[in-house]
Amino acid sequence: MTATATSTAGTRERTAPWSGQSVARKEDGRLVQGQGSFIDDLGMHGQGYAWFVRSPHAHARIVSVDPSRALAAEGVYAVLTGEEAKQMCEVPFFQIAPGAGARIEEWPLAVDKVRYQGDAVAVVLADTRDAARDAAELVDVDYEPLAVVVDGVAAADPGAVVLHEEAGTNVAWHGTYDYGDIDWALESADHVVRIDRLHFHRFSSTPLECNGATVNWDRGSGMVEVKSNLQMPMFAAMVIGPTLGVPINKFSFSSRDIGGAFGNKIAFYPQIAALALLSRKAGRPAKWTEYRTEHMMTSTHGNERTFLDIEVPVMGDGSILGVKVRAYDDVGAYLHYEPLGAVIWSQVVPGCYKMKHVRVDFTTTLTNKCPVSPNRGYSRMQHLWMLERIIDIVAHELGFDPVELRKRNYVQPEDYPYETPNGCVYDSGDLPRSLDIALGLAQVDFWRRRKQELGTGKGKRVGIGIGSTLDSGTNNFGQARIINPDLPFSGNGEAALAKLDLYGEVNINLGTTPQGQSHETTSAQVAADILNMSPEDVTVTVGFDQAHNSFVGFSGTYASQFAVTGLGAVMGATEKLRDQILEVGSFALEAPKEELELSSGTCMVRGDPSRSIPFIGIANLVYTNNAVLPPELRSTVDLNCRYVYVPPFAVPDAEHKTGNLTLTYASQIHVCVVEVDEETGATEIVSYAAVDDCGNRVNPRIVEGQVHGAAALGIGAALYETFDYDEEGQLEQPSFYEYHAGTALDIPDIQSGYLESPSPFTPNGAKGMGEGGGAPLHAVCAAIQDVLGKDDAVVSDSHNSSERVYELLHSADHHRARGVTVVSRPSADA
Amino acid sequence: MLLKSVEYVRPGSVDEALHLLRSNAGAAPLAGGQSLSNILKHRVASVDVLVDISSLDELREIQRRPDGSIEVGACVTYDELDRSLGVRAGHEIIARVASHIEDSQIRNRGTIGGNCCLSDPTNNLPPLLIALDATMHVRSAGGSRRVPVEEFFKGYFLTALEPGELLTSVEIPALPAGARAGYASLNVAADSKAIVRSAARVKVNEVIEEARVVLARVAPVPIRHRGMEEALVGAAPTAESVRAAADTIGEDLEPVADSHGSSEYRRQMARVVARRAVLEAIGQGGGM
Ligand SMILES: Cc1cc2nc3c(=O)[nH]c(=O)nc-3n(C[C@H](O)[C@H](O)[C@H](O)COP(=O)(O)OP(=O)(O)OC[C@H]3O[C@@H](n4cnc5c(N)ncnc54)[C@H](O)[C@@H]3O)c2cc1C
Repeated sequence: MTATATSTAGTRERTAPWSGQSVARKEDGRLVQGQGSFIDDLGMHGQGYAWFVRSPHAHARIVSVDPSRALAAEGVYAVLTGEEAKQMCEVPFFQIAPGAGARIEEWPLAVDKVRYQGDAVAVVLADTRDAARDAAELVDVDYEPLAVVVDGVAAADPGAVVLHEEAGTNVAWHGTYDYGDIDWALESADHVVRIDRLHFHRFSSTPLECNGATVNWDRGSGMVEVKSNLQMPMFAAMVIGPTLGVPINKFSFSSRDIGGAFGNKIAFYPQIAALALLSRKAGRPAKWTEYRTEHMMTSTHGNERTFLDIEVPVMGDGSILGVKVRAYDDVGAYLHYEPLGAVIWSQVVPGCYKMKHVRVDFTTTLTNKCPVSPNRGYSRMQHLWMLERIIDIVAHELGFDPVELRKRNYVQPEDYPYETPNGCVYDSGDLPRSLDIALGLAQVDFWRRRKQELGTGKGKRVGIGIGSTLDSGTNNFGQARIINPDLPFSGNGEAALAKLDLYGEVNINLGTTPQGQSHETTSAQVAADILNMSPEDVTVTVGFDQAHNSFVGFSGTYASQFAVTGLGAVMGATEKLRDQILEVGSFALEAPKEELELSSGTCMVRGDPSRSIPFIGIANLVYTNNAVLPPELRSTVDLNCRYVYVPPFAVPDAEHKTGNLTLTYASQIHVCVVEVDEETGATEIVSYAAVDDCGNRVNPRIVEGQVHGAAALGIGAALYETFDYDEEGQLEQPSFYEYHAGTALDIPDIQSGYLESPSPFTPNGAKGMGEGGGAPLHAVCAAIQDVLGKDDAVVSDSHNSSERVYELLHSADHHRARGVTVVSRPSADA
Repeated sequence: MLLKSVEYVRPGSVDEALHLLRSNAGAAPLAGGQSLSNILKHRVASVDVLVDISSLDELREIQRRPDGSIEVGACVTYDELDRSLGVRAGHEIIARVASHIEDSQIRNRGTIGGNCCLSDPTNNLPPLLIALDATMHVRSAGGSRRVPVEEFFKGYFLTALEPGELLTSVEIPALPAGARAGYASLNVAADSKAIVRSAARVKVNEVIEEARVVLARVAPVPIRHRGMEEALVGAAPTAESVRAAADTIGEDLEPVADSHGSSEYRRQMARVVARRAVLEAIGQGGGM
């Protein structure tokens, strides 16, 4: 049951079926030998180097921008200012938001105003990176500082200083999600637990590689070539195309290896647009490689969410009926992909639980901070964290065992497919069993005894916490209509092209842009099973290139879906290719298709190897010898098979905010044991287990790698990583000196286990699982809560530095308000 | 340029280095470069001439004297401190602290001299050298002088060195009979910056006879906490008396607040780490 490290036998010694095996990764050879092609390795002939001029102020009027000193500097090709960029554009960037949010005018560079520290006001192109950087210091910008708003809740106040005057408000979106009958539940429950405030902090999962791009606006052809490490390049194309006046077929986006993305490489399209205009102006390619501080300050952060006035109706037996809450999502200074965060969470309205009555009053606000965009666990993580905090607070307040309370409220194995209050369908799983496995792997029995022995006052305390979470995958983009009913989006899909090349080589290419998810390996496994050959003989095109890869509007690598959409497309395309090979084989071997089989690159009559034709022969007949073929084959067979996998979605009901919003629900149950130093609050993880159930695993070791990566990022965020702003809107952690990204020394050994509950809705029974649902944040907070005494404060923030844990430990001494009240019906006292 | 263009000279001797430093107002010594190159990259200091002293043999020796004291050349690296038998023989704690500075790339290049001359309050070695009562050997083209370590650190990124002067070596006396040292820090995470540190040297002869307790990151430079030292002297070497002594640390400190810790937390933690450092020095617990 438990995944243990198995010896890495090479692919050659293994046999089919390949899916389900930990075959060695195709990508590893080049990556471990330093032969990957990352963004800074790529360039174009005659390129200049770009450096952005960025605002030191969080909010200011731009009085003037004078590039003359920069233009006079040696090696400078061009300077593009915000106003000039605007003049070169047709329309501002497209907005997803309706109403006030839709009125926001965002251009490639700031015009008239800067709205966060690091907002770009101009960009310089020069013959070297250093010359561009030097010249950027010579661009004279005159600012008139304005009042600043950095609090996501205060930003919604009518009196708050407004970032975008054309919108007239900082509220980018507001809506109420109301399912079941929460008022009835609150009246009828035996207990109502009230929590004043929970806060999910701002951080960003750190990629090793920052953003970057080389962009060339070719004057002769009008083609705009973009080599970048965007993880959803065609989304960027769709956003910037109308702004730049460039049709999609005049773009050529491409990418190679990407050094980590986690969602934060979806939305740097303003920079791409600015580079395109800079290139157009200078008449040469513009190359930009983001600096680390630039990345931390201006690339993107994860959504910061504040939950207020939480009310939880609970029955005497521990059944939790629902939750009522006001949520404020602070999305920073511009809407990049937002306000989609205001709906994405509703893929997991009740979390892992059977609660039926939920009302969430949701507000998205703009603040003078770095814009947010998806970050591993996007939007669901924040909501799931709140639910897990609720479970533990309810357990703590009403005296339930957190394990038993979870098991009582979990969706049970026999409930699947389970429809949530808003019409989402949980496909499969076994949460109670996953939890038992995790408790076992973390050796919780041992740690409970240790906790008992140590008690309090002996210097160290032990705490045990659970994080139960869902990684909903394969979005129905129709949920965007819940934000804005006029949006023409719905469904999802991915494209793949399977072909035999001129000498019979098998090739697969996709619309995806992997960043470590091993698409080359798993695609080859799946295709190899269909063609009955070794995955080593299947080539999967490295990277993405708009010019020759197949894609749809949803293409990219994001949001836990490749195992379903990507591999679904590979399966469909490869099956088509197999059929064509069999058809040509049937002609060549003069045998009916049904009597043929494929084996290691040949097509043969079953049981008679003497009657066979290799793939090179099939390719020859179609590509270079087609006069031999009968006319009906000539016109139907091309050995280039495209397939688009489309999940079975309907358009959600925007008015009632219901519908099936995601196809699959992988679950992650994490158990964390901490040892807290009573004197300092320093928290050390002494045992950690992660049990993932993502249905059928195409390659178990790759799944385990994703589990480890997601766990490490979550642990880092829970204990070390936070982006805070001071009152002036200055980022307090602009470098690794202040922002400690968790390293190998901080992350404990992770005991990983699994269950495989196949999804009934996907072509291969697999579920997306890469994001991981933020389980470590939930589990670490729960473990810290478990360390605290009855009268101590509750863990109300997702980030817990040593200092904060120290404060929590001493909160009772200082009579700090706990922010939790329980109201019980008289009859419920028993 | 990432690094503004700057002249680079590698002198053949300390005398030549001193001459170069005296004759160029904008010259600065370059040791391991682990801080200086970052400072130049961030453009917070401007230097015209880098005088690379890192490979001068005269600055790279470790001498252990018959009396048990050691003299460590300014350009001895952390890694060399860690590996040196001479250092380990009587000053194992220096090797240990050096071995915990960041990662091996930094330990291969960073020097004891650079660690002191930068006077960065987060650096690991200064509080230890104060606890161990070191003496700094300083030379200029005009002569040489010895500076007691407690007078060496003057403020943030500021030392007692005059323009044109080099720190050539650090002399660390033998631990007095019956004395041991301890060192404790509270870090943000496993391999990150310290929030507070403490180093101590305590001599025990039935009772505590002598104590030097140093706190770092609670003030611009590492400071000795006289109140705690006085409370320790004459006390029994027990956990209780150390706790009582540490409780003298309090309102007298006004630590800075930054993203790693508030002033109040630092003040509280100063007590804890000072106690842990002293406990280690009297053999009653682990440091670090
Ligand atoms: C990422 C990173 C993290 C770090 N974290 C820590 C840490 O946690 N703790 C820690 O202790 N250190 C840390 N360091 C700093 C490191 O220890 C440096 O090596 C040290 O501060 C300077 O030593 P250096 O030999 O590299 O000196 P350099 O960088 O070459 O010089 C530093 C300064 O001292 C002057 N100088 C150097 N030698 C002499 C001399 N003999 N006489 C006069 N002036 C001199 C130079 O002119 C310069 O002003 C870190 C460094 C890096 C890159």
